[in-house]
Amino acid sequence: MQRTAVQKGLALVTPALVFGFLVATQWTTLARPDVAIRYIDPLSDTVTRLQGDQAALRQQLASIRGQLDQLQRASSTQSGAVGALQSQIDDLRVQAGLAEAHGDGVVITLDAARPTGSAAKEPFCFAPDLTDLVNAAWRGGASAIAINNERLVSSSSVYCVGGTIVVNGSITSAPFSISAVGPPASILAVLDDEAQLRDLKKRRDDRSVTLQFTRATTLSVPAYRGALAVRQATPR
Amino acid sequence: MRSPAGALAMAAVALLLGVLVVSQFRSRDVYSRTLQQETPESLARLIADLNDRDRQLRDEIFDLRLRLEQAQSAVAGGQGSIAEAQRQLAQLQVFSARSRVTGPGIAVRIDGAFDERALSDLVNELRNAGAEAIAVNDARVGPRSWFGPGSEGSLVVDGRAVRGPWAVSAIGATEVLHVAMTRTGGIVGQFELIYQRTRFSVTRETSLDLPAIAGP
Repeated sequence: MQRTAVQKGLALVTPALVFGFLVATQWTTLARPDVAIRYIDPLSDTVTRLQGDQAALRQQLASIRGQLDQLQRASSTQSGAVGALQSQIDDLRVQAGLAEAHGDGVVITLDAARPTGSAAKEPFCFAPDLTDLVNAAWRGGASAIAINNERLVSSSSVYCVGGTIVVNGSITSAPFSISAVGPPASILAVLDDEAQLRDLKKRRDDRSVTLQFTRATTLSVPAYRGALAVRQATPR
Repeated sequence: MRSPAGALAMAAVALLLGVLVVSQFRSRDVYSRTLQQETPESLARLIADLNDRDRQLRDEIFDLRLRLEQAQSAVAGGQGSIAEAQRQLAQLQVFSARSRVTGPGIAVRIDGAFDERALSDLVNELRNAGAEAIAVNDARVGPRSWFGPGSEGSLVVDGRAVRGPWAVSAIGATEVLHVAMTRTGGIVGQFELIYQRTRFSVTRETSLDLPAIAGP
């Protein structure tokens, strides 16, 4: 008697689980052509794997840089000439964005407003909005900026491939958080200036994006973790 | 569990669980949800770009390992790591835009109407193609540079007016930069469609000499 009750229960539970799974899967792949679907999984798995490789390579790079740095510091206490170079190196590392930055600042959040109950939308490219926001923050006197924890340096580019954003060669996507260390009042003054970011503010007022500027204290922006790749240029 | 109501409740929970498992699976990473919505073409482009970037990181790791070995033997031989310190300093002087730099590259000349967002896009595209140092006329572009509109059709770089015609110079691998700018559907092609009365030209330069960034 007990066994049939369990069986009855299972007979309901199993299809319900499968159905739940199917509903959710269908939801996220709605309106995709069959041909495209076939390639999505292997390709996106490769993207995820390469992004993982990149994180590991960056860690290796950081470790070797750390060893070189240690060696150099040990050597700089022994040699006055190396010591003098070392203080210039330390200063330039800060200037170049290779050191973590801390201080007051502004956090900008940007996301697509999600219409309730609708399925996945066409991917939207946020790269121009991100570069406009970053431009405004530099203009307001920011000294260090990161987009979703990716520090912006002299080699940084921000572009999109479909709806995926690539910053410093690393991929990310909405929602975005831009952390800008610098004088909050003057950064906010530029961001809030009517003449700036007109297009983006119009879309915020139309409720197609959410955009917020928040004053922050004790903000922390990570150091740049990518390659320096200086091969052709030499200082004079 | 013995009553039909119990079985129904169980089924409802299982249904919810099924939905939750999938949603959870999809929100593992910030970007993995977006990836599922990309076209195969976009994913293929991401793979190519990530491959490039990973190769660049491997190259730099290889270089730094060699430098580490050299520095270690120099220190062991009592010479100190002055050669390594000089190498790091030179790299950082370029990367921070704090010194004048020289090297091969390209120049993009722009004669006619142009605006600050287009200039920002051009700089972004040059950086993406691996430019190591960039200047707009004699204004060096640094890690914190910003662009704005100036009076009478001029542009502003870091608060300084820069008048046209403009030459945007970039030091880097000449061919890579040249192809990135001039390829079909590339940024210069797009500019030519948008600014129809403006003349654009891209030239290979064997030796560019760019100033240090202005200011403190």
